[in-house]
Amino acid sequence: MAAYMEWERCLLDCSCGVSEPISRLYFCRYCLKLRCRECVSHEVDSHYCPNCLENTTSAEAKMRKNRCPNCFDCPSCKHTLSTRATTTVITDPTDKTKTTTKKVYYLACGFCRWTTRDVAMPDMTVATGGLKELENPHANWIGGVLEYYMELGQLEKVQRDKKKYAKRKTHLNLSDKYGLTSVVAKKRGMLSPASLQLKEQADKVKVRDISNRDASDAVEPLSQDYYTTDCILSDITTISQRLALVELQPEQTKNLFPSRKLLIIRRSHRCKECEHNLTKSDFNPSSIKFKIQMVAIQHIPEIRFIKPPMLVFNEESEVVLTLTNPTVIQSHVNLLPSNKENDKLVTAELVLPSSELILAPKDETVTDYGEEPSDGSAYQDDPSIVTFRKANKIGVSVKVKPTIESGNVWIAFILSHQYTNMTPMLKSESSGVSTFQLEHLVHVNLGQVSDSTAGSHSPGSRPN
Amino acid sequence: MGQGHSRWRKRWQNRRQGAVVCAESDLQGDITIGAKTVVHPKATIIAEAGPIIIGDYNLIEEQSHIINKKVTDADGSTMCVMIIGNHNVFEVGSYVEALKIGDGNVLEAKCKLGRLTELTNGCIIGPMCEVNIQETLPENTVIYGSNCNRRVQSDRPPTQALQLEFLAKILPNYHHLRRPTKTLPKLNP
Repeated sequence: MAAYMEWERCLLDCSCGVSEPISRLYFCRYCLKLRCRECVSHEVDSHYCPNCLENTTSAEAKMRKNRCPNCFDCPSCKHTLSTRATTTVITDPTDKTKTTTKKVYYLACGFCRWTTRDVAMPDMTVATGGLKELENPHANWIGGVLEYYMELGQLEKVQRDKKKYAKRKTHLNLSDKYGLTSVVAKKRGMLSPASLQLKEQADKVKVRDISNRDASDAVEPLSQDYYTTDCILSDITTISQRLALVELQPEQTKNLFPSRKLLIIRRSHRCKECEHNLTKSDFNPSSIKFKIQMVAIQHIPEIRFIKPPMLVFNEESEVVLTLTNPTVIQSHVNLLPSNKENDKLVTAELVLPSSELILAPKDETVTDYGEEPSDGSAYQDDPSIVTFRKANKIGVSVKVKPTIESGNVWIAFILSHQYTNMTPMLKSESSGVSTFQLEHLVHVNLGQVSDSTAGSHSPGSRPN
Repeated sequence: MGQGHSRWRKRWQNRRQGAVVCAESDLQGDITIGAKTVVHPKATIIAEAGPIIIGDYNLIEEQSHIINKKVTDADGSTMCVMIIGNHNVFEVGSYVEALKIGDGNVLEAKCKLGRLTELTNGCIIGPMCEVNIQETLPENTVIYGSNCNRRVQSDRPPTQALQLEFLAKILPNYHHLRRPTKTLPKLNP
């Protein structure tokens, strides 16, 4: 029964050849093909914080370095910090006898019980926004280096542009022996204003002087403390704790500091070939609905099996596959033998039913609201092929003969079904809905070959 | 060490300060429960190998097991007394066999504490953490995570005094309470 729940058992081949379970595939209804995650371009929709679910635009996120302004991560265990309040008694500085109670706030982790008091941080007087940002000790130096490179880039750009303009010959053969070219040309008004501007710019852009930070061989000798004093493990930070605070990289736990929470993104997918949107989620981060959701499971019949079959080498056994129709239209399905040559995965021979299978339409009152399914007697079923029929699901029996002695048994076949385009495209010539016949290659993992003999490593004793 | 003959003693004779022990809790053996301790229904306290002495202001929640387990290969002459201090919290589903527990500890849900471990004061054993090596945990240790990571915190965990007060008022309205079977005998001069 648990085999029914394993979604990696039945794999469909994407148009690029990759086998993925149906839940991971998208279906482009313009190309009429299955698309896997590689055939789809991922685009960032919006940024939001996983804790406070606050939406942020891309520009704002970039400015804040992809961090949430309100939420903090525990430096010890990376969970979210929550604000706790306590009351303290403060003595009035002017009159020692008067005492006032004041509410102060501190951050605490619910998982590892780390608090800001552990690192001797003063309690905040306001609930939010009271935490002081940590100053990067190298901020000035890094800012200086960044600006230096930006100026260099600007200078190079100006030089590149100058070269472009300088290539045009001025038709004036003035030799530049005495450096008089530009002066003379200016007098005569020969130089174009654009090239004049460029030259001026090039003169203006002066790259600042950045002193190189040279690496030196002189290192402080190791202090004797490393050999004599005991190492207290609880005082030393772990590598992951250190790297979470890249600017500081504290070695002692008493220097840990909460870091702001990283934002996560919502993405939308687009078919790489026809550039149409395949999935587009809702703008609101707390909503899980989709505006556009073209996933395979809503259009392609789903194949599963309930009972893992009893598979013995070279013996034919019956396997019941269930086919579920996700559409609201009656579907005609054919199971055809696989035409893929040299399929290394297939380890069994398969006998498929030759007749066409009819799947009832999906009735939402049955699947979603649990009402009684309609009687399946409307369909004439061959009991040797169709083992059961329930709402939009049927059980099909196929015969499998494993060709290997041990290991996983894989079968392959082609699922051929009708796809009806419910929402007609503007470009299509037909005004109504159009029906297409689609074929997909399916691989099913039926499980291990069972040994009916005592020892699995004695190939000699085998039932024939 | 009588099993089936359940006697638990209240430390104070004054019932106002007494412990709140629900009738549906399972108490077996020689157990002493201190003042203001609350024992929820479905808590199990079994004193097999010796008496259990539980201090004041403790909170023993549902489905928690405090067992002074009889070790099969030990000789029957030695009596192991399990001593639990004050202000401890035994959350839902915790399983404790440790012989010595200090003050102010919090044993969170579904944790397991073996017989050989000793807790000092202010320790927090996180949920689903199993600690059973022979060790005395230093004060204010926090054990958390699926790998039972540890760290030492600077503060003690806050006490549950408010919760205890509330429970002491509300529990008798909904549950029958156990009456103490015997009060402590007077000490010899």
